[in-house]
Amino acid sequence: MGVHGKFDDLGRFADPSLLILTSLSDGPKHGYAIMGDIAGFSGVRMEPGTLYGALSRLERRGWVRPLATDERRRPYEITAAGQEILAEQVMTMQQIVRVARLRTAMAWGA
Amino acid sequence: MRPGLAGRLSRFLVGCHPRRWRERYGEEMLDVLDQHHATARTVASLWASAVSAQLDPAYRTDRLSLARLRRAALISAAIAAPLALVLAPVGYGMWQDSYWHPAADEPLETAAFSPHTGLMVTAFGEAIDGTDVVWDVTDLSRPRPLSQFEGGQPVALSPDGRTVATITYHGQAALWNVTDPRHPVEMTTLSDGDGTQLEELAFSPDGKILAAARYDRIFLWDMARPARPRLLGTLDAPVTAPEGGGPIPFSQQDLAFSPDGTVLASATGTDQVTLWNVTDPARAYRLATISSLGDFIQAFTFSPRGNLLGAVTYHGAVLVYSLANPARPARTATVSSLLTRAFFPSGLPRPSETPLCAACSGLGNYAVAFAPDGHTLTVVVDREEMSANSGRDTIFDWPVTGSGTLGAGTVAARDVADFQPVIAPGGRTVVGSPPGSHAWHAWPLP
Repeated sequence: MGVHGKFDDLGRFADPSLLILTSLSDGPKHGYAIMGDIAGFSGVRMEPGTLYGALSRLERRGWVRPLATDERRRPYEITAAGQEILAEQVMTMQQIVRVARLRTAMAWGA
Repeated sequence: MRPGLAGRLSRFLVGCHPRRWRERYGEEMLDVLDQHHATARTVASLWASAVSAQLDPAYRTDRLSLARLRRAALISAAIAAPLALVLAPVGYGMWQDSYWHPAADEPLETAAFSPHTGLMVTAFGEAIDGTDVVWDVTDLSRPRPLSQFEGGQPVALSPDGRTVATITYHGQAALWNVTDPRHPVEMTTLSDGDGTQLEELAFSPDGKILAAARYDRIFLWDMARPARPRLLGTLDAPVTAPEGGGPIPFSQQDLAFSPDGTVLASATGTDQVTLWNVTDPARAYRLATISSLGDFIQAFTFSPRGNLLGAVTYHGAVLVYSLANPARPARTATVSSLLTRAFFPSGLPRPSETPLCAACSGLGNYAVAFAPDGHTLTVVVDREEMSANSGRDTIFDWPVTGSGTLGAGTVAARDVADFQPVIAPGGRTVVGSPPGSHAWHAWPLP
């Protein structure tokens, strides 16, 4: 199964999962920090229901793992498998961007 | 929905998840809700999450949480039914009044004014195919929508209020005749023969010139006959590769004419602002380049007399330049650490807070304006990085001397707009989308 299939299995949580994996790729974060980071780098304001819906699925797939809680806050970190799936997904997106640039002939600072 | 009600409903809905789910995620989700500004979207996402978790075979459904979910459904229906009966006629009337108000999938992105005619054009949506709306803002506290069209964004409005310029989905400049603001008519699309994505537009103060900029080039159009604009010339902004290679860090594009229309400032090119003499637009030439800022200019503005240029950088520094000799701009004021002060009222982070990093990758939304008398500089800071005690935005005022130095700054307001703020003509009203809303609002400053 290709990367598309693995992410497609996440259904409506596919896009949030990609954002979460990206957020965790530079270090562990707890829930609210993940929401803030995602809003910062993508402008997407993720709601808690979506965040934890995606986190539970990522955890079940072994792409993120929970760390020990700090009071009520539980940080999450990306696993090696999560890094691998993120890298594959980014490569797919790069391919899409490359084709889109060629087909729309848009010079995006190139 | 009132935030208090949304917050209480959100917490209740956490309890509607299956027991195993609650044991695993309940505490941390409640902790997130303690810090999160709950809205109707929050309630909807938690409702969907609870239903999804109940249907998930991985979490054995227990009777208690299922009963809670049923109870939540009954409570929601009990609240919604009478509210719908009461509010439906009111809502219908408001819908009639705000018929032209965009359907609000996106926040306000930009606004352009024609102060003498009382018109404003707004563009909604972060996508470049945003909806444009023409408003009568003779009284900004009681705006009247006049028409809407799919022109794109950003937008510029000619000083006589007769022509709107937009950047289309395809990155070209389009001109709309709004002589009758209730019936905008597309006149033409400007063809520069280049075809690359334009980023910014600006009309000259007399409305005779339209400047359209992309990252490294500015096109000057003669607008004597708006239906048949004529390309007067192009200006190439310097683009230099950074030392040691790597991608070229382009500034946020910005563009503005001086009040007398003789100087055009552009934040095109790399890491710099360029001043152009456009006294004769067909023979425009570069006056000076303000470079080596070490930061990207996000927004700038001329003072009413045109003798100063105020600018805000990506990392929240305010810079003022004297243009007494526009060929030799001289920096007269620098205020740094604006972001820290925007986030932390005392100017210092609390011990429990993570100080803002120098290389934060968050989005920055800024607006900058001088007061009409030129004696006050106002900057609106809205940053996306979140912090437990951060506000949505912070508005700063500084007294400005004639030579361009700044006195002690004060915080004029906090927690007003969200997303991109716009300072309306007059300098004492901020226009933007309020937190959690996709409508726009005008906030008078003290």
